[in-house]
Amino acid sequence: MMARAKSNDDVVRVDFRFRRELARKLEGNLASYCYQCGACAGDCPAMTYSSGEFNPRDIMLKVLYGLGEELLVEDSILWQCTNCYNCHERCPQQVKPVEVIISLKNMLADLDIYPTVVKRIIETFETTGRTTPLSPAIDRHREHFGLPPLPPVPVEEIRKLIEPAPAEGESS
Amino acid sequence: MKRFAFFPGCLIPARHPAMEFAIRTCLPKLGIEIVDLEGASCCPDPIYFKSKDKLSWLSVAARNLTLAEDLGVDIFTNCSGCTATLSESYHLLQDEDLRARVNLRLRRIDRQYRGVARVRHIATLVRDEVGYEAVAASVVRPLSGLRVAIHYGCHLLKPSRIMQVDDPNDPTVLEKLVAALGATPVRHRNWYLCCGKACQAEAIPSNMMHDLLGTVHAEHADLLCLICPTCFGQFDHGQMKVCQQFGEDYHTAPIYYFQLLAFAQGVPYDRLGFERQRFKPECLRRFEDATDPTVETCPTSSQTE
Repeated sequence: MMARAKSNDDVVRVDFRFRRELARKLEGNLASYCYQCGACAGDCPAMTYSSGEFNPRDIMLKVLYGLGEELLVEDSILWQCTNCYNCHERCPQQVKPVEVIISLKNMLADLDIYPTVVKRIIETFETTGRTTPLSPAIDRHREHFGLPPLPPVPVEEIRKLIEPAPAEGESS
Repeated sequence: MKRFAFFPGCLIPARHPAMEFAIRTCLPKLGIEIVDLEGASCCPDPIYFKSKDKLSWLSVAARNLTLAEDLGVDIFTNCSGCTATLSESYHLLQDEDLRARVNLRLRRIDRQYRGVARVRHIATLVRDEVGYEAVAASVVRPLSGLRVAIHYGCHLLKPSRIMQVDDPNDPTVLEKLVAALGATPVRHRNWYLCCGKACQAEAIPSNMMHDLLGTVHAEHADLLCLICPTCFGQFDHGQMKVCQQFGEDYHTAPIYYFQLLAFAQGVPYDRLGFERQRFKPECLRRFEDATDPTVETCPTSSQTE
């Protein structure tokens, strides 16, 4: 990885364009405070159970070097994160590595790159306001417990809220 | 009765209505009145939709919080995912600039977020607003001798700076809630592990579940108690997959805490929907002699002791 960050004269060239773009995402800027102590890695279940293939410290280093092209790809390593928040808990610099990883996923979304399962659930939410859509079978199951049918969600309100508005400076 | 808004989320009402039934049965007996939140949407989930666009995620979460603000009540959740989204959003929206950005979006639907409704997971709510002693007093079938392994999951406790529930390295809230039912809580060696549901690589969660279930099995626990429907799926369907993949004979039935509480409060075993589980908590049958026949449907009024 270092080799790609270095040019022929052995000087590290940081891609600040990528870092600035990441910093526009909510809490994407926090990676800048990472001093590579590795506290996040020691307590990361995805790292333990992937034999080190997934490594939040390594991901933060790639961000610091601006190596977006290694992270923003199909089948990105980012999707191996379990979202357990241990790194958020451990980080002495309050980098919240899990949040930086989610911000990186927001950049992947801008490129329309998602795992199939993820894309399907997002579409269900955007069209129904729920991650589990209504169905007669669900309502029958609920009735068995004396529970009323699931009420509809005002989806129009959700659609209005999630519409991006770059003109208002909201484009994160 | 103390009044709180119930944020049921997506998974429990749709996939596990037995859990919702249990909550609606338990809480009035503990002096808590449930207020339903009309027009609530998905929290939205902290794994999928949050990965698309955090500002949209935060705006929809803020909308859900305003529904409780309108009613002047605090919120409780029953799923660790909803807890993560709504608690984190409450925390993030204390930042004035961010709140202004989100309110700009909320203005599109004539809403405004003010930041007055607190969010708590139902386990925390019961600890803080009811107390362990009152939980114990509501029990008509003490679960004496029942060994119950505990799975905290991730988002009840972490990030602790935001959740402010318990020590994430040595929590006690679920142990004490289980002990209040007369059962014996069991802390297994891998108690702190994640259920792995969010991870999109298959090998990581299956190896993790294999280790976790192995330590639960080694403790000879009768049940594995948890407080999140996503964790539940991983320990029910997921346990079957682990057994097939690794050739293990694990068979510890997972149980959502509030179903266990409802059972201890006298709801008949057959009313609690366990027949749909792959691993059924049949070990509870031996406590059925002390059945309280008054509980048949969702009660609207409490029968406080």
